[in-house]
Amino acid sequence: MKKFDYHMPESLHEAFGLMEKYQGRARYIAGGTDVMVRVKQGAARPDALISLRHIEALKGMHWNGALRLGSMTLFRDLERDKDVERTYAALAQAVRVLANPQVRNVATIGGNLANAAPSADCAPPLLVMEAICRIDGPGGEREVPVEAFFLGPGKTCMTETEVLKAIEIPAPDKGAVTAFAKAGRVSQDIALVNAAVMLVMDGPVCKDCRLAAGAVAPVPLRLKRAEEAVTGREITPDLLDHVKGIVEEEVRPITDVRSSAEYRRIMSGVLVKRAIGQATGGIV
Amino acid sequence: MKREITFTLNGYEVSAEVESHRVLLEVLRDTFDLKGTKPGCGQGECGACTVLVDGVNVDSCLYPAFEIEGKTVTTIEGLIREGNRLHPIQEAFVAHGGIQCGFCSPGMIMSATALLSENPAPSDDEIKQGISGNLCRCTGYVQIVESIRDAAAGMKQNAG
Repeated sequence: MKKFDYHMPESLHEAFGLMEKYQGRARYIAGGTDVMVRVKQGAARPDALISLRHIEALKGMHWNGALRLGSMTLFRDLERDKDVERTYAALAQAVRVLANPQVRNVATIGGNLANAAPSADCAPPLLVMEAICRIDGPGGEREVPVEAFFLGPGKTCMTETEVLKAIEIPAPDKGAVTAFAKAGRVSQDIALVNAAVMLVMDGPVCKDCRLAAGAVAPVPLRLKRAEEAVTGREITPDLLDHVKGIVEEEVRPITDVRSSAEYRRIMSGVLVKRAIGQATGGIV
Repeated sequence: MKREITFTLNGYEVSAEVESHRVLLEVLRDTFDLKGTKPGCGQGECGACTVLVDGVNVDSCLYPAFEIEGKTVTTIEGLIREGNRLHPIQEAFVAHGGIQCGFCSPGMIMSATALLSENPAPSDDEIKQGISGNLCRCTGYVQIVESIRDAAAGMKQNAG
């Protein structure tokens, strides 16, 4: 493993300055559970790591109808937050099955998103809640809907110096229910497919629906064609089977070490159907 | 680059000069000669390297050395009680066959310690989730869950 310097700036300004000094040969590090693995395996060979853990502007959870999560919010804290569980069930469910306790105790939501794995467990919930990523850099702050944040496996819309500052999750629509489902080979596994749903129900009829799946395309996906099949319809077993079919066509999975494209395709439909069932409390 | 870090280790305030590319696991084993914490996968999946930092279980193989500054670290060696007696969790592992080859045991016991300090009366499901980041190749986990269940009951009794 190549040696690296380690810096612990206490402000974003300092962090940007360090990143610029290293001219592309440094990486930001949050909890380290992705970056340290890459560095130890030689997949990343930075001259320096710039820790984001001591920057106050990146910390904190602020409720104001909506929820603003500082990017350095630990999964440990998200996991234990009753308000998050009550308001954003899909996110709470995702965090609980992400990796394992030791990882969750140091890993951050910002790091999970910035790592931009298509299988990021946080992504489908944030997609169906239409969260916004607040990004900061030497050029100033900007916001990007989470849907536009991911550009490909391991690639985000951020420049080298930019930092994900916060994730803003809008207040849920009245009567909205959400759920998350994940398929993995074993506990603590990276998802071979994950999915989240958001539904606004009026009795058995779905007034609004958002669906998302991860690990089935180069980026976490909103499933807009499947959504159209649900919105405005009564949710019945037949409808869910129909939606399952659309999901299977909408996803673009690959075969890799964790699973085959075929299995992922099938499971994406199954998980969306299952998550809809979970969210609606098993109406169907 | 090098830096002197100061932190609390098993109850003692200590200092050491460490290199920037090191992790907590190396500091514990190489600088402080505490071999109880084991190197396993090096990727944060097996939990053999589990220690407590500020009371919370973490994988020391991924914990950057510089980040230990000012923290409180507890390793398996730090569980020893007055008069060289084992910690109740360790005693339970011995009593229930929760240890075979012993390689996962320090990490497993540190995760159990973290679990019981936050949740003194866990269900079996909660125990399994609490150790879901610690792999054991020998026991099949049954005796480990029993050990933790028993330790919880014993510690609760003594506390109450």
